[in-house]
Amino acid sequence: MTVLEVEVDGVVHRVALERRAEGSVIHMDGQTIPVDVCEPMPGVLSLLIGNSGIGDSGTGDGGGENGAGGRAYRCVRTVFADEESIAVAGRQHRVVVADPRSLRGRRKGPGAGNGTLHIKASMPGRVARVLVAPGEAVVAGQGVVVIEAMKMQNELKAARDGRVAEVRVAAGDTVASGQVLAVIE
Amino acid sequence: MASLRKILIANRGEIALRLIRACREMGISPVAVYSDVDRSALHVQHADEAYRLGPAPSVDSYLCGDRILEIARRCGADAIHPGYGFLSENADFAEACAAAGITFIGPPAPAMRELGSKTRARAAADRARMPRTPGSVRGLVSAEEALRLAEEIGYPVMLKAAAGGGGKGMRAIQGPAELPSAFVSASEEAARAFGSGEVYLEKLIERPRHIEIQLLADQHGNAVYLGERECSVQRRHQKVIEEAPSAVVGPELRRRMGETACRLAREAGYVNAGTVEFLLDEAQNFYFLEVNTRLQVEHAVTELVTGLDLVHLQIAIAEGKPLPFTQEEITLRGHAVEVRVYAEDPENGFLPSPGKITRLLRPGGPGLREDEGVYEGWQVPTEYDPMLSKLIAFAPDRATAIARLGCAIDEYVIGGIRTNLKLLRRILDDADFQAARIDTGYLDRLLAEPAPADVEAPPASAEAAAMGAVLFAAPQAPGPAAQPQTPWQRDALRQGLAR
Repeated sequence: MTVLEVEVDGVVHRVALERRAEGSVIHMDGQTIPVDVCEPMPGVLSLLIGNSGIGDSGTGDGGGENGAGGRAYRCVRTVFADEESIAVAGRQHRVVVADPRSLRGRRKGPGAGNGTLHIKASMPGRVARVLVAPGEAVVAGQGVVVIEAMKMQNELKAARDGRVAEVRVAAGDTVASGQVLAVIE
Repeated sequence: MASLRKILIANRGEIALRLIRACREMGISPVAVYSDVDRSALHVQHADEAYRLGPAPSVDSYLCGDRILEIARRCGADAIHPGYGFLSENADFAEACAAAGITFIGPPAPAMRELGSKTRARAAADRARMPRTPGSVRGLVSAEEALRLAEEIGYPVMLKAAAGGGGKGMRAIQGPAELPSAFVSASEEAARAFGSGEVYLEKLIERPRHIEIQLLADQHGNAVYLGERECSVQRRHQKVIEEAPSAVVGPELRRRMGETACRLAREAGYVNAGTVEFLLDEAQNFYFLEVNTRLQVEHAVTELVTGLDLVHLQIAIAEGKPLPFTQEEITLRGHAVEVRVYAEDPENGFLPSPGKITRLLRPGGPGLREDEGVYEGWQVPTEYDPMLSKLIAFAPDRATAIARLGCAIDEYVIGGIRTNLKLLRRILDDADFQAARIDTGYLDRLLAEPAPADVEAPPASAEAAAMGAVLFAAPQAPGPAAQPQTPWQRDALRQGLAR
């Protein structure tokens, strides 16, 4: 039985799935919780949690020892960029699953606040204006580059104080998502 | 005038599909046009015929009036419906349609020129003795002129695009230091969005509500108002939530606003559907803001509370038919609330979030309407407005409509891109919104506060997500879904790569 570290909205849970003959149970943070699972369509799970013996035990796969059924949740898995989210009843939870026995799947730590700051295009678009020049001092919150996409102009701002080391684009340039537009030191 | 048989829809997204459906209901053949990135769009899939306009940018596709008119002529369309945005308020295009003998479903070009330009509309409002905000009645030629006028009427002031709409080319100015650069960026944005950089200036009304009157005018001189909509929940002057009726407009105020709007329509020789927008101050004084000479994005809330179909009526008016009812026969019933679902990231400066929709689960139930423009697998392009769909709830009263809409948002799952669904849910849950304590600055104030924790997630939901994450990561989920689902997975199995 593999114990996985699951980070949900920044809170880490230790979770293991165990398949028993009479149905699946989940061990989570020291608790053992019966769970009945089906996947009605790819990427969607229907969970019935905490079997309380109210439902009929039946003879099929879903039947737990005390009868099938419990609190119902629909989990919908979605991925944005490299972030996995699971939607439950209208709430989007960001999740990261890591197996403590391997480094695979572990996310790198958040970018540190010191050193070089790259101003990146967060989406494809066109450079409407460049607001700084190399060598110029900038303060946190100051606009650096204005990108136009989807008919709206968005000002990309410096996250902290610094000095403009490089400006890599000019007004009118087409930029790709993730492209570095300016470097602040 | 003869009945229309074939209508070219010069638009895209949810409104194109909504117009296609109206045509079909009336036995009219709908024709779509599309840009290269819209080849697989929903409106193309649903039309009877569809013709390519050109590359993705609007200026090379949906704004090419000549090309659209040529397609209409060659495919035998008798009319063009422009929807909203794009060519909908372009008087030259309406005129070119008339010259080509093709019915433009909208007002005649002269009325559009009179009311569509915000500066000329303000002059027309003066003639119709309609109250308006202090400020210019013509375009500003320079930042210096703007500074002089702002000094005269007093800060804060608003800079607006004369040809504008949807908040583009619009800036609120608190003092003279901001004005020169705002003047440049507003006219640049206006020039790019509307093809005209003309901007004007008006006095900013403090804490106003945005109330607008829906009009219908036929070719026989009849004009009626279909009540008001309140659109005070805005961000950067872009409407986010709209409702009908307004919680603060009573029968007497509704009648006064409606009648002055009809008077303006008659003065300007207006025909077809249109909207007169007002600001309402805390003392219930209203000020003329502008006229939208087209169908509005938020027309659905009016449809639900009046029981009328505005697009059917637009087409009937364009066919020359008289309005089938009088003002007295129009009654309002129940309450409707609409949210605009955008591909944007409210947690990251509202940056647009184009990309592929990898998952789409729609809400359902009684009293719910979705005007949808996207589907699972659709690639949301970068070139156009990021609105994906509109979700509208109708119920006997406002509180029930809000609850219904909130439940629908909880059911709605859009994966692969960021959306504003969570923010919409937060607004619907907000005590001030529920008590209708709103004005056009309401949303900005809400956004300045941290999101309340209970909106983030009940703990049980997070636990279920943790379990779901483990089950999704498990080598084999139990049940039928344990079978490989895609050819890619089957290949992986064959090569022994799958766990």
